[in-house]
This record gives sequence, C-alpha cells and structure tokens, in this order.
Amino acid sequence: MLTTRRVYKTFNLGTPNEVRALRGVDLDVDEGSFVIVIGTNGSGKSTLLNAVAGGFPLDSGTLMLDGVDITRWPEHRRASMIGRVFQNPFSGTAPSMSIAQNLTLAARRGRSRGLGWALKRSMREELRDRVRRLNMRLEERLDNPIGSLSGGQRQALTLLMASWLKPKLLLLDEHTAALDPKSADQVIQLSEEIVARDRLTTLMVTHSMAQAAHLGDRLIMMHRGEVIHDFRGAEKQRLRASDLLNRFEDVRRAEQLDESAADMLRRLYV
Amino acid sequence: MLLLIGAFTIGLILSLLALGVFISFRIFEFPDITADGSITLGGAVTAVLLVAHLHPVVATAAAFFAGAIAGTTTGILHTRFKINGLLSGILVMTALYSVNLHIMGKSNLPLLSERTLASMAEASALSLLGTSVVHPLGWAVSTRDAAVLALALAAAAIVGLSLYLFFRTNLGTAMQAAGDNAQMIRALGVNVDHMIILGLAVSNGLIALAGGLLTQYQGFADVQMGIGMVVWGLASIIIGEALVGVRDLGFVITGAVMGSVLFRLIVALALRGGLNPNDLKLVTAGFVFLALVLPSLLQRARRTVRTLGTSEAPL
Repeated sequence: MLTTRRVYKTFNLGTPNEVRALRGVDLDVDEGSFVIVIGTNGSGKSTLLNAVAGGFPLDSGTLMLDGVDITRWPEHRRASMIGRVFQNPFSGTAPSMSIAQNLTLAARRGRSRGLGWALKRSMREELRDRVRRLNMRLEERLDNPIGSLSGGQRQALTLLMASWLKPKLLLLDEHTAALDPKSADQVIQLSEEIVARDRLTTLMVTHSMAQAAHLGDRLIMMHRGEVIHDFRGAEKQRLRASDLLNRFEDVRRAEQLDESAADMLRRLYV
Repeated sequence: MLLLIGAFTIGLILSLLALGVFISFRIFEFPDITADGSITLGGAVTAVLLVAHLHPVVATAAAFFAGAIAGTTTGILHTRFKINGLLSGILVMTALYSVNLHIMGKSNLPLLSERTLASMAEASALSLLGTSVVHPLGWAVSTRDAAVLALALAAAAIVGLSLYLFFRTNLGTAMQAAGDNAQMIRALGVNVDHMIILGLAVSNGLIALAGGLLTQYQGFADVQMGIGMVVWGLASIIIGEALVGVRDLGFVITGAVMGSVLFRLIVALALRGGLNPNDLKLVTAGFVFLALVLPSLLQRARRTVRTLGTSEAPL
C-alpha cells in the first residue's frame, strides 16, 4: 500500500543546526497492516510520518501510495488518501467551530467543496450516531465549540474525523503523548477499534513501549534516520515491552562504542 | 433628525466595510490594509462608470469585482510570494492610490446629474408615495433621505444574510476553518492559500462595494476617501462584539452592522458636540487602541485584586 524508496531529508543543510533526519528509508507497508514506529528522540520517526503526509518536500527518494507516486503532491492533495491525528490535541480540530461543523469538514476530506449546505439535516443523525459510539456523551453537545472540550475528547474526535471517510492510510503521530493516562487509554482503545473495524493501513508513532508491544502486527525501530529493526508476524506478537527496552539499550551501547572508538582513533592518528 | 438619518445611512453603507474587515481581521487574523485603497477603488470605478452613463446596478457591481481583484492581488503577494501580510496590504494599497487617480483622471470626481442608485431609490419612492416629505413617527423626513436609508438598509441586510449563508456552506466552513486552524484543514484536503486569496477577494469586494455605495450617497468619489477606513471598520467590529458578544457567526455579523451604525452615530454626535473634524481619526485610533488593550488590562487588574485578596486572607 505504502512504499518509500531511498527517502532522504536533511534540515538546515550547511548550518551548525544541520539535522540528517531521514537517511535512506526503505519501507513497504502492506494493505491492512498496522505498523508501530518507535525510536529514540531525533531518530526520525515523526519526520517519516510528516514526509509521508507531505509536510515538507523530500531531498530525494520516492513515495508511492496505493500505486500512485505522491512524492511531488502537496500536503492538501495527499489528504484525499491520508487521515491524520497529530500529537498536539489542538492541532486536529478547529476550536471556534462546533463539533458538528468539524465533523462535516472531515466528511468531505479531499473532496471538492462548493456552495452546498455543509450541515444537512439528513447528516445530523449520522453525526450523532458516530459520536455516540465514542462513549463520551458528546452527542448531546454537537453544537458546542470544540475549543471547550478536553484534550482527550478532542483527540477522540480527531480520530473519528481522520477515519470518517475510510483513508488509504492512517497516520497516528504520538497521538496520546499529550494526554493524561486515562484519556490516553481511551484514545488508544478507540484507535484499535477503528483500525480493526475498517481494516485501515496504519502507521503509528509512539513513545510508550507498552503500546508498542501490545498494538499492531508489525513494529519498526528507527535510529538516526534509518530503520534498524523490523519485527513482523509471530516475532512481533512475542515482543514484550522489556525486549524493546533492551533493544534501545543495545543501540545506546553501540553508540558509546562508536564514540570511544572514534576517540581512540583520534588520539592515535590526529 | 437629518443628522440621525445621515448617520444611520452612512453607518449602514459602511457596515459592508465592517463585514469585509471582519473577514480579513477576524476570520483570518490577517491585518489587511488593502481596505483603505479598495474602498476608494470601489468609489472611483462606480463614479467613472456612472459618468459614462452605465446602469447604476452595473456600476455598483463593477465596484465589487474591482475590489475583489485588489484583494486577490494582496492574497497572491502574501501566499505565493511569501510577503508578510501587513506589507502585502501596504504594497497594494499604495499601488491603488495611483490606480485610483488613473481611473478617475483627477483627484475628485463629482456625480452631478448622473443617475445613481440613490437617485433611482428617490424616484421610485416619490412615484410610490407621491410626496416629497414622509412622516415616520411624526418626524418630517424628506422622501429622498428615507429612500436612501431604506436602500442602505436593504444592502446591509442582503450582504449580511448572504455572508451568513455562505459561512454555512461547504466552501464557507472550509474558509472559516482555514482561519481557525490551518494545519487541520490542510490535513482534510483544503488548499489554505486558495482560501486566504478567496477570503481577501470577498473581503475587499465588500469594502469596494461600500465605497461604490458611499460615492453614490455623497455624490462624489475622492482619492482620499479611503484613508483610515480600515480602522473605522475595526472600530465597528469591536463595538459590535461588545454589543452582542462573539457567540455565533449570525450574532457577530449582526453585531458588525449594528456596531457600524452605532459608531457613525457616536461620530455624528461628537462632531455636533464640537469635536474638531481634524481630530476624528486621532480619536478613532485612540478608541481602537483602548478597545484592544482594555480587556487584558481589566483582566490584570482583576488578578491583582484577587491575589491581594488571597494574600490578605490568612492574616
């Protein structure tokens, strides 16, 4: 479904703040696959999601989604195939507009928007129905501005909006990191339900090893802009949170080794 | 009485300006100074077309489209060429000064015996009522003034209602969302740049329409008529929000119209009361400044009072 080939991205090229965020990412995501992406800070996991969503142009490489080359598509055009939930609960909804208005905006994701009435009466029942399934009692507050809701409620609604029209690809970017534990659990559970029900092809970045071990049918670990581990099938199912922590520890040790080796070489030859 | 009717009429005409400023300043939080140039542009286009004996409706509609082109230019400068929003507006406003002079051919263009929307309203009112003085609520009002007031009221109502309905359509809600949270609406497949350009086009179209109507009301177009207009529009919106709050778009639109009228009434009374007309813009700017800083000042004062209260409580 999603194919990335030799994707490179460097930020602030040629400045002291140069960051080589993606260094040749090759990834093939099958249709209906739920892929968990983990990695250390600055490993490029969120950058990878942004690259797929179209937040910035690539330095090189290609992106294919559902057989279409989307490498040069602007962000808003890719939105016709991609649903997104952001880390910041405030990013995914328009705060001064009502719940119903936000949902009707999502109901036309990637479609043309003309002078047709946005909130048709026939639509209201469906809105109420789908919002009721969130079990947050928001169905009675459809006309309230979304800005008056909690982060967890807004994130649940963003999830609903991202999946309203079944997207080819769902991108979840640490979407529970900014929530309190209870809301985070609720949103994770909801994500799992929606992905399973609609069999959505999903990329989910997370910091939580528990989520990483528990969710998804495939897990990739990134480090310094590259995919360094890829667990699938039975191997993924066997993974425990402690295994993942050990892998991170390995990465850290290898890095220290690299540094001391470089140090030694410098002392010997410079 | 004449003063009151005049203030009402100008207030209603300039409520179109307030609604235009509402789109740029409130929906997009885009400080669009183009307004000062586009209101004059509307006046100039209308005046020239009327002098050329075109139908007043055509001349007025042309003002809207001319303003829309000005707004589109500002929008393109800002989105395509990444020029700061304020500067984009200043550039277009400055350029419009020359454009307006070229359109009019001189700095002031009077409408002497040309047929205007105002004269048409007067003529139809005269033939309808058959008298040159009407007596609403016992006051003697010339039919011409009453007819023009009715015309301005109709214009404000039609534009206000259209705007309200527009922001209930798929396109309108997308535009509103583009101003509210650009990242979100981009992720839902909307080109935010296009929304900004379209928004500024509609905004300046309405402002130019106000200019076209104002020109027909006062009987001339002047190249200086736009100076400070954007601040007047902003003042109207602020008054409107104080009157009705910011709960719902319908309220806000109605508030902007009411604010514009109230603002003109205050101005008329202040001038009557001896305010030097030369000080008008200074006073208006001071008013807008106060309206902008007063809420946060009040909040700080309230917080100070509260902390004083709590720090004293344990004693």
